[in-house]
Amino acid sequence: MDRKRVLDIIRSNGILIVILLLIIVTGIFESNFLTVNNLLNVLRQVSVVGIVACGMTFCIIGGAFDLSVGSVVSLAGVITILNINAGTNEYLAILYGLLAGIAIGIVNGVLISIIHGRTSEAFIVTYGMQVVVASIALFPSNGLFISGRVSEGFFKSMGQGVMPIIIFLGLATIMQFVLTKTPYGRRMCFIGSNMDVAKMSGINVIANRVSYFVISGVLASLGGIVLCSRVTSSNPTAGLNYEMDVIAAVVVGGTQLSGGSGSVYRTVIGAVIIGIMSNALNILGITAYHQQIVKGMLILLAVGMDIVNKRMKMREMTHEKVVEE
Amino acid sequence: MGTHVLDMKHITKTFPGVVALDDVSLAVEKGAVHGLIGENGAGKSTLMKVLNGVYKADHGQLYLEGAPLELHGVRDAQEKGISTIFQEFNLINSLSIAENIFLGRFQGGNLIDWKDIHTKATNLLDRLGLHFDVTRIVGKLSTAEKQLVEIAKALSFDAKIIVMDEPTSSLTSREIELFFPIIGKLRESGITTIYISHKLEEIFQICDKVSIMRDGKIVGESPVDEITRDQVIELMVGRSLEMEYPKRTVEPDGVVLSVQSLGRGNKLHDISFELRKGEILGIAGLVGAGRTELAEALFGADPADSGEITIKGKKVAIHSTSQGKENSIGMLTEDRKETGLVLDMSVTKNITITKLEEVKKGIVLRNKAEAQVADHFVDALNIKTPSINQALYNLSGGNQQKVVLAKWLFSDVDILILDEPTRGIDIGAKYEIYCLMNSLTEQGKSIIMISSELPEVLHMSDRLLVMHKGMIKGELVGKDMSADNVMKLVIE
Repeated sequence: MDRKRVLDIIRSNGILIVILLLIIVTGIFESNFLTVNNLLNVLRQVSVVGIVACGMTFCIIGGAFDLSVGSVVSLAGVITILNINAGTNEYLAILYGLLAGIAIGIVNGVLISIIHGRTSEAFIVTYGMQVVVASIALFPSNGLFISGRVSEGFFKSMGQGVMPIIIFLGLATIMQFVLTKTPYGRRMCFIGSNMDVAKMSGINVIANRVSYFVISGVLASLGGIVLCSRVTSSNPTAGLNYEMDVIAAVVVGGTQLSGGSGSVYRTVIGAVIIGIMSNALNILGITAYHQQIVKGMLILLAVGMDIVNKRMKMREMTHEKVVEE
Repeated sequence: MGTHVLDMKHITKTFPGVVALDDVSLAVEKGAVHGLIGENGAGKSTLMKVLNGVYKADHGQLYLEGAPLELHGVRDAQEKGISTIFQEFNLINSLSIAENIFLGRFQGGNLIDWKDIHTKATNLLDRLGLHFDVTRIVGKLSTAEKQLVEIAKALSFDAKIIVMDEPTSSLTSREIELFFPIIGKLRESGITTIYISHKLEEIFQICDKVSIMRDGKIVGESPVDEITRDQVIELMVGRSLEMEYPKRTVEPDGVVLSVQSLGRGNKLHDISFELRKGEILGIAGLVGAGRTELAEALFGADPADSGEITIKGKKVAIHSTSQGKENSIGMLTEDRKETGLVLDMSVTKNITITKLEEVKKGIVLRNKAEAQVADHFVDALNIKTPSINQALYNLSGGNQQKVVLAKWLFSDVDILILDEPTRGIDIGAKYEIYCLMNSLTEQGKSIIMISSELPEVLHMSDRLLVMHKGMIKGELVGKDMSADNVMKLVIE
């Protein structure tokens, strides 16, 4: 029985264990790895991906998917920086950036609702949106890098020091609360588990689903704005392939792509794990190309664990059913 | 007394904590149709799984035509002459009838002799008196036709025994009428059928002999012409049920819902009726008559595109289920597993979902309030569950159905649409649900009951609407409410 429990713990925390090993090994060999400064640095690095991943987590739990976030990161940055350069009030500039994400979220959500889309349709629709938005982000500067004329102020502070970390962890805390403690979060789990049951329980499935895309869009915007603030400039292709890093954070954290369950905290852990991994590999002197291999394997491991866990659960389910009959 | 084709002797099968089969002995005569009846959990399915090689019995021995029989899996059993028609068909939708019948057993070298296969498949179907084009794709067949293909497949294995698990559960009443002669054909050709069902009518209609199971034991066995319906029920439930249906005592008054020439596409045409307070309004008709479509239009799941709905004197617009709920309409769907419940969530969460506003404070859900609600309904509805935090897949069909009812009772709607409320649940639980319907109407709720089981709607309804091809063909009240009149209206 004890052996079974140990195995259970390994099974459900496999990735954490791998990462702990990596941390211990790196910590032993490199004295500047386990320092407050370095760890804060890791958190700062993952905060943009993390913010976007929080929105993606809602989407995925709600039985949807948003591939357009990468382009939204780019577009929101471009809009905000252009406005600031044009002398717009910085709060307004930020708001315009966020509105872009909201608008794209609404379009995503409405399109998918019109075709009664499920996860696979959401995949294609938001992929189309990603391509369109990526292109829109290129117009204003003809695809060139835009350097920001940023003065001291709120916008500049968003990407500096511990602010990105505060935004990231603050958001994650609020969203975790919404997910687990409010009717909205409960409905999200129902819609993600079984859209038909949700509908036949009198839940306004369309409005709720649109809201997940809006949240995903607005957080992608926010991530893009924080990113711009950090580098005080905007690159219209800054968000290229960002959606993949974001999905990696969600998946490595352990939220299942099948929807209906998951947690924002897990996504935070997923983002941090990926960040720590890159950082540790950097410190150990492993090149970026090799790092990609490790990252890919980490994702595969996460999915593998997920499948093993699901199988175990299925077996328990069928076993119990048999007993009942 | 004929020879025994099958003997199951002293079969015991235990699962951790449960004795599923307790020293069961069953002898089946050659060429007979042997009924096996019992409530959910009685052990029918386990017994069947021992017989088709899925489970190995802990004790006991099987004999096929007098010779000891060892089975290693479904395929092995099939090859030894025992085929099972499961409720979920074992067919590949994208392949043809002939391909499905001979799947994995194509003769010849590298090239498949299609002509030979088609002839063989046609012959098999001929034996059943069926004339299908065997090149038709199985995915395009109706449920009933797929079942026949399964039977033909069993014949292709030279089955001595065909086990049928609730074969009529997904058939319409007309399809059932066409299905029974097939069993007759099997009997004529000396093939034994073991017919598992919990529908008494069917057992009496087609079986030669019936064995009744309860709590993992066979508690009775008799030729069907020497036992009465009531005796079978008593044996099944282990106590005497005074009656199958409780008496209706509520006097409905005052119109709650009035529907004026409702229509939707080519599914619903010019539907008008009224529902009174405290009334149970039955809707009968064949599958596909538009009953579920009408329910979905009222609830807003698939809104009507013409006509008027008036609730308590107020004209209302219902374009979505959330509007349906706002207008005090709730709907128990015909498929609780797909559209009624989230099976891997707890009893509590499934009940409170319809009215989360009631269990929150500010914006926060209160676990305590939720637990109280769940406890209340588990108690009031006699839902058998180890805990309110139990995921629903562990509950029996009847208890799951009570959870669906609980969720609508909690939402406190005045008009409850029940689409096949007793489908796939056992007699005891059915009775409880009928009683519940009565007590709801006593409290002033109104119920629209859709059911394919005629005796049920005839007994429980105050009035009966008969639907056909998306229209209301007639309304039956009082003494006119009879199966004959329903069929007359449908056939006209």
